[in-house]
Amino acid sequence: MKTVATFTVNGLPHEIAVEPHQLLIEVLREHLGLTGTKHSCGVGNCGACTVLVDGTPELACLTLAMEVRDKSVLTIEGLAKEGLLHPLQQAFVDYGAIQCGYCTPGMILTGKALLDDNPDPTEHEVREALAGNICRCTGYVKIVEAVLAAAEVMRKGGN
Amino acid sequence: MEGHAADNRKSAVHQGAEVAQFSVVGTRIRQPDGPAKATGEAKFAGDISLPGMLIGKILRSPYPHAVIKSIDTSKAEALPGVMAVLTPDNVAEWKTFDRGMKDMPLVAGGYRVPSEEAVVNKVARHYGDAIAAVAAVDEHTAEEAIELLEVEYELLPFVLDAEEAMQPDAPQVSDLAPDNVGKHLFYPYPEGDVDKALAEADLVVSGVFSTHKQDHCTQETAACVAYLDASGRLNVWSQCQLAHLGRRELASIFKMPVNRIKLMTPFVGGSFGQRGAVCAEPIAVALALRSKRPVRLVFSREDNFLGLESRTGFKKIDIKMGFTSDGTLTAIKTQMIGTLGGYMGCGPMSSVIGMTLAMGHYRCPNRFGEAHMVMTNTPVSGAMRGFGNDAMMFCIEQLMDDAARRLGIDPIDIRLKNAKEPGEIASMGLELESTYMEDCLQLGAEAFGWHEKRTQAKKDEGPIKRGYGMATMSHCTGAAPLYLEHSNAMVKFNEDGSADLTVHPAPVGQHIWGALSQICAEELGIRAEDVHIVTGDTDVTLFEYGSDASRSTYAIGGATLRAARQAKEQMLARAAEMLEVPADRLEVKDRVVVVKGRPDKTVTVAEVCYDAIYAFGGRATNFAGKQSFESTWNSPTYGAYFAEVEVNTETGRVHVPRFVTAIDCGKAINPMAVEGQLEGGLQQGLGYALTENFIVNPKTGVVETDNYDSYKVPGALDMPDSTVLIVDKPDPKGPFGAKGVGEPGMVGIPPCIANAVYDAIGVRLRDLPMTPERVLEALTEKTEGETETVRGE
Repeated sequence: MKTVATFTVNGLPHEIAVEPHQLLIEVLREHLGLTGTKHSCGVGNCGACTVLVDGTPELACLTLAMEVRDKSVLTIEGLAKEGLLHPLQQAFVDYGAIQCGYCTPGMILTGKALLDDNPDPTEHEVREALAGNICRCTGYVKIVEAVLAAAEVMRKGGN
Repeated sequence: MEGHAADNRKSAVHQGAEVAQFSVVGTRIRQPDGPAKATGEAKFAGDISLPGMLIGKILRSPYPHAVIKSIDTSKAEALPGVMAVLTPDNVAEWKTFDRGMKDMPLVAGGYRVPSEEAVVNKVARHYGDAIAAVAAVDEHTAEEAIELLEVEYELLPFVLDAEEAMQPDAPQVSDLAPDNVGKHLFYPYPEGDVDKALAEADLVVSGVFSTHKQDHCTQETAACVAYLDASGRLNVWSQCQLAHLGRRELASIFKMPVNRIKLMTPFVGGSFGQRGAVCAEPIAVALALRSKRPVRLVFSREDNFLGLESRTGFKKIDIKMGFTSDGTLTAIKTQMIGTLGGYMGCGPMSSVIGMTLAMGHYRCPNRFGEAHMVMTNTPVSGAMRGFGNDAMMFCIEQLMDDAARRLGIDPIDIRLKNAKEPGEIASMGLELESTYMEDCLQLGAEAFGWHEKRTQAKKDEGPIKRGYGMATMSHCTGAAPLYLEHSNAMVKFNEDGSADLTVHPAPVGQHIWGALSQICAEELGIRAEDVHIVTGDTDVTLFEYGSDASRSTYAIGGATLRAARQAKEQMLARAAEMLEVPADRLEVKDRVVVVKGRPDKTVTVAEVCYDAIYAFGGRATNFAGKQSFESTWNSPTYGAYFAEVEVNTETGRVHVPRFVTAIDCGKAINPMAVEGQLEGGLQQGLGYALTENFIVNPKTGVVETDNYDSYKVPGALDMPDSTVLIVDKPDPKGPFGAKGVGEPGMVGIPPCIANAVYDAIGVRLRDLPMTPERVLEALTEKTEGETETVRGE
């Protein structure tokens, strides 16, 4: 039995008819075409599907769509403003923190939640925040560097 | 530096004095695909949607060995929205294949693997073998249809262990493999009399080792989208690392001319060798042909663990190495038993490549090696980063350490003593073009503090025992002369002086587009951002062997350099006319053609290109180069690795707080990309060494590790403090001096950690992974060197 519910995704309200069992990742990818949210393990072990729900990182592969009705969902597509990359996105590009790019959306959004909460994290705090996000390409070195660099840019008021 | 990305704080590039001055090569450019990936815009195969597209699902065998007696599809077919069902009985119109694509020429010397696999299989040869598939209007319907398939199985006896499988009374996995030996292979470059040399050696060190099946754990699972268009052409979005070979394999399976298949390569979320085989493609294409609708097939994580090739594990590697008393290596003898799984695929050659690279790493006059590659009722083995060199180096580099200790030689010195020099024959049987292993050892030892750490007294840390280890390795750059090594590139100038480079590497995350744009721009005398990469479509690209064997920068870069040179010569000929000087007096740099010695006499590349394209009176031409490249040489990449470990003698856990990698990959086209390969390789090498373990239940054949909760890959908190050092001295043959760097990142890591563990606790761990259980077991036994003999004692 489908329910029509309102979802605010990247600042825009969407009315979508969803089944009670439908997962947030399915609504984002299949209904809204927001394929930047990636499916990888399907059981909440890898962080590839991370989105921000009211600013908090949530795993879209474990979250029922109905759980986030009337809440504000931010996906990777909503991060750049008017064609300008968010400092985290820019730092990931600049520091070579992106290889295959599949974990990147989840890494960047997890990083954003960290920096919104803690603008001046230590390297260890960055690693702790990213501990649930698996990357198979980079060894995390340049990802951690990029998050720290973005933190500095954001502290100085960049974008 | 404008246009250049951020510098890395910890790592360093050490340029040799003789390095030529480049404008573009050697700079840390940003990757052209970075913004698309940072914004979610980049399309991976699973992101592709087409009108009317169906979703595919696979039914996998719950038994390790069974005949599919029948499948009742009536309930599934009656479910609204189900558009196609594939069963072993209705896929017979299509040809069988080898997933490793070795049923057709690829390997020199006529090596082939039989075509034994069908789109879905009548006899399941391993737990998780694909036996049926469906396509339906959405994922839920497809899942429901899979559950409605009623299968009657006839269970067969099964064998999971390679050595048991070689026994005469063992269950047969394949009719084409007597005693289950899929391939009996030999080291291709034997020399001397190894038994005599071992008998005469002053010291023989030996050991029986084992390595395990490692899953690639690409963050994107296997995926494919396929549809037959109205004109009868098959359109396939494929992750295959070897796109043109993938197209050839699909043409064979589905009995089509190759140019009726348009194979497109989207962004690929990691590969590491796994997509060097056909993966989701045969079933996706079959479902599209049967349903006459576009089909998207995306593997679940479980599908990936069960249904794809993963690293070939070796049940047994028995190695003996002979030395004279001064540490000179005189003999290596190797016997390998490898576990192939239910189909041969890419697995067998991992023995040959491993022996070739590791047994040819050092100068050694007597060499012999032999491998039995054995079929078992377990998921299929194949190629993963290192391709057997990881396993062989794990053994050789531990034995090298053993020999150093017994002979009282520093581990670095014994390696230098036996290191090859340029001009000697390298591992692949060709002349060694360049080696800077000594530089790697010096730089790495200094950064790590090797000599201080090895000599200082260890402080008491209770149950924590600290140790320091090192290892070296070399790895091929491309697989000449053992594999096909054919690449092509086209370069054309546009009227504004920009250029388009048409190539077909696999964009699996190795920053290859950026590296190729740098090589192209350096030769053309323009900037990297002036080069646009045209790629990912077999309709457009010339034949390309593809991206594996650490070859893309070297071989595709080699083709790119030649094609760019050809286009540049045309451009300079025109510029010579415009400037009224001979072409050999011209040089081009940063978009401007200059007469040598006359800095006032110039014309821009844009002006020359415009003049050629918008020309009248019979002078119109489009400068373009098209060149083939087939490497007939092979320059190995060298590396030295240093690890600090903490072994907890109460829990058995091995922790690695510090790691240093020093690499000779020739000239680093983009040092940031090189660092990325080595830093990432460390994560995979650490997991391979310590935590990752593909577990098959020995009683049932069921795979117990099919997701990240049971199969532990290292996370951000598990990683050592890592330093990467690049020697950065050019190779004489590589494009602008480059050599390969994809696989070296992980090859030397397991032996380096094992050597550090030995230093910490005095116990040799000869089996991978070095789990806490094994460490504790080894500590309890604390017997080592059981088969060694030291003459004269």
